[in-house]
Amino acid sequence: MTVENFLYIKEIADKGLRINERDAFKFRDLKIKTKVIRPSDGSAYVEIGNTKVIAGVKVMNGEPFPDRPNEGGLIVNFEATELASKYADDRITYSIEVGRVTDRGIRESNLIDLSKLVIEEGKKAHFVFVDIATVNNEGNLFDAANIAALAALLGARYKKNGTDEMVGLPLDISKLAVSHTFAKIGKSIFFDPDAEEENSAEARITIAVSDKVNSIQKGGAGFFTAEEIDLCVGKAFELRENTIKLLMDSTKEA
Amino acid sequence: MYEKRLDNRGFDELRPMEAETGVVPNAKGSARFRIGNTEAIAAVYGPEEVKPKHFEKFDRGIIMCKYDMLPFSVPDRAKPGFDRRDTEISQVITNALSRAIRLEEMPRSMITVRVYVTQADAGTRCASLTAASMACADAGLPMRDLVAAVAAGYIGGSVCLDLTKDEEDLHDEGATDVPIAFLPSKDEIVLLQLDGKVGHEELNEVIKMGKIGAMKIYELEKEALRRRVSNES
Repeated sequence: MTVENFLYIKEIADKGLRINERDAFKFRDLKIKTKVIRPSDGSAYVEIGNTKVIAGVKVMNGEPFPDRPNEGGLIVNFEATELASKYADDRITYSIEVGRVTDRGIRESNLIDLSKLVIEEGKKAHFVFVDIATVNNEGNLFDAANIAALAALLGARYKKNGTDEMVGLPLDISKLAVSHTFAKIGKSIFFDPDAEEENSAEARITIAVSDKVNSIQKGGAGFFTAEEIDLCVGKAFELRENTIKLLMDSTKEA
Repeated sequence: MYEKRLDNRGFDELRPMEAETGVVPNAKGSARFRIGNTEAIAAVYGPEEVKPKHFEKFDRGIIMCKYDMLPFSVPDRAKPGFDRRDTEISQVITNALSRAIRLEEMPRSMITVRVYVTQADAGTRCASLTAASMACADAGLPMRDLVAAVAAGYIGGSVCLDLTKDEEDLHDEGATDVPIAFLPSKDEIVLLQLDGKVGHEELNEVIKMGKIGAMKIYELEKEALRRRVSNES
């Protein structure tokens, strides 16, 4: 990790200020492009400031898990590729956690009705693979991965078993669980930390909300108080609306 | 609605617990923590030289923590070795311990924490973290506080403490599992995860319930450590 601006970020955070003069709960520029990968069944390219990720969805056939014969599957994989970060130890610590947290947000919100993916009970079902790769890591991979995965799923079309009919996934879009990540620097809490802020932060919290809270993941070596968590959850609900709007717009025009 | 718990416990009642330290004589510090049918054994080594060298921090120590479920700990055999889940849990336990231990007092050194889950009936990351923090105290590491961790949750409209596996699996009731860890005397939350469905107000209640459970675990931890000290003298 870099020590550039490390102390400066901490110093101004005590006054509630950020290095790029951004407001505490303002998103960087969010851009979403769908249908960017031809061979995939659904895909999205997402930029949050200079953080760039690509998500691709593949719908494959497979055998249902023995303990869930009446359900298809959802598998989320995240790749913090080595080309994406100037901070050497990023690649090791982030990768698995981001994938698992993204997975939980989608799964726990019941966005995809997995029971509708069954072709033959216990024998054959559709499996939805969501693979997310980092192109450039400038902080907040959690939200970028989540938004890219949702955008890719929303636009996904696959061949229904045995027919040539292209159908969308069985999604309940009222249940889009959108992830919001906050960093705690000193006594201040900032939404959508960039890489330098993440580096200076003591703790991080990622909250995915639909109409309910669907997943939370606290990260970093610091701590939160119950009041700070209450604040972050409230902000996540507030911020969700705008993100959803961008998400729906992006999938419409494509 | 979830009005009566599957095992007839009160909603704010923990399962029966046991805690002891010094269970791994070869380690610098060690502990065993059992809550219901979930049990973890933790051992702590160090501070020692950092290996591999590039993990070294010039101004503070680091923690290398590994959480592992033993193959016989679950009804189906768990595949030996680390999977993605183990890696993530090791990370969140490391995060929590990094706040509890005064790493700034041990620059350029490494603490190794190993946790084995011997039996699993939900709440394994919390039991592991509780055991690990006791083992760190047993090793005499400088600490801000012990860590007390417990899984709280929300099932069918009721806030519950210390969920069992059967309760976690009540998907029709929208069972939500919230592992949470405190530095109890400081009111600091050092681990928090959630998966499921819960409203904002209910979540605040769940966190409050977690604190109640954590305080009870905290007392047990202190008691176990006191017992160890008095035995030695």
